[in-house]
Amino acid sequence: MGRESSERPTYTILAIITLKKERILGGSQLALWAENEEQQKAMTQDIAKAMKADVVKMKNGDYLIIRV
Amino acid sequence: MKENIISTDHLIIIVTATIVGTMARALTIKEDFRQYPTYPNGYLIHLVTGFVAASLGAVAIPALMTKNFVAVTFLALAIQQFRDVRKAEKESLKDLENTESAYRGDAYIDGIAKTFEARNYFALIVSFTTALTIQLVDSKFISINVMSGTITGLIVLYVIKRFSKGKVLGDIADVKEGKIEVRESELFVDGIFVSNLLGTENAANMFQKEGLAVVIIPREEHFRIALDHYGQRQAALFEATRAVGVKRYHFTRKEYEKGKIVITLVPIIKDVNKLIEAVKKTPVLESVKKSHSVMDTNLFGRE
Repeated sequence: MGRESSERPTYTILAIITLKKERILGGSQLALWAENEEQQKAMTQDIAKAMKADVVKMKNGDYLIIRV
Repeated sequence: MKENIISTDHLIIIVTATIVGTMARALTIKEDFRQYPTYPNGYLIHLVTGFVAASLGAVAIPALMTKNFVAVTFLALAIQQFRDVRKAEKESLKDLENTESAYRGDAYIDGIAKTFEARNYFALIVSFTTALTIQLVDSKFISINVMSGTITGLIVLYVIKRFSKGKVLGDIADVKEGKIEVRESELFVDGIFVSNLLGTENAANMFQKEGLAVVIIPREEHFRIALDHYGQRQAALFEATRAVGVKRYHFTRKEYEKGKIVITLVPIIKDVNKLIEAVKKTPVLESVKKSHSVMDTNLFGRE
């Protein structure tokens, strides 16, 4: 898996959309705070569509927008 | 003045051998399910380089017969030229990488480029043996010379074509349809985790409704080594995307316990048989292959 991860494609995290402010700790990606789940989903979809990117729903409820 | 003109015998050797050699290259340009190269310019380039290779093979015997030994060194030039063919093919395919639905991968590109180089050697060897046969037969009837040269050339082509024929994934593994399951945002095929990139409902629904998956199961334990190779899996994924198209998403994943490989995508043409066929016919890459029996022997190694 180590070798595989060094092969293309490379992934870039474009944004993280969270419901908890304290989870925004910095980093190069865009970090956004949503007030509720509804808003969180809408924000995620808008960004993903615009950037033609993929979405990962994390177990803690946060969304990652990833470009392959 | 006439002394400087090539003799009729030699002319017959050169022309026959060049034609047979070029024909050998033409016969090895495949228009198969991989659809490569089907574009007219691709054909032309490979036919012309094949013609050049055949010509080089054809003139070697007349050059030797006229004691022109130095002229035979141009065979070294031929090898250089074929290397350039490989290089050009490699560069061309690498340039296309970013425009394809899935990457071919370096290992697959290397394999394709080597095949193109090897097929030029086909033209050279076939034309050389054709010329040699005509010279050895040396009948007073031109037709007998030409016929014997052509037949030998075709036999040689058949033999080296068989010799250089590689295996395909269908020879070493079973390929069957996989059952797609989306649990929340995670994608599973036959219970094997594949990806968690289906974070939105749209993505999950799309994959559940339109996704196709195949599972590659190695027939023998040692075939896992070839199948586990990243380049090999990438090649299979590339062929899969080429056969059915990609609407959205394509993934490969290996399962560690039994060495199963999953290939899954949302295709444009939803035809699982086509997908299975494409994966089965993916070549086993030369860089991945190893002889299992050789690995078992202890002929030259230490006790």
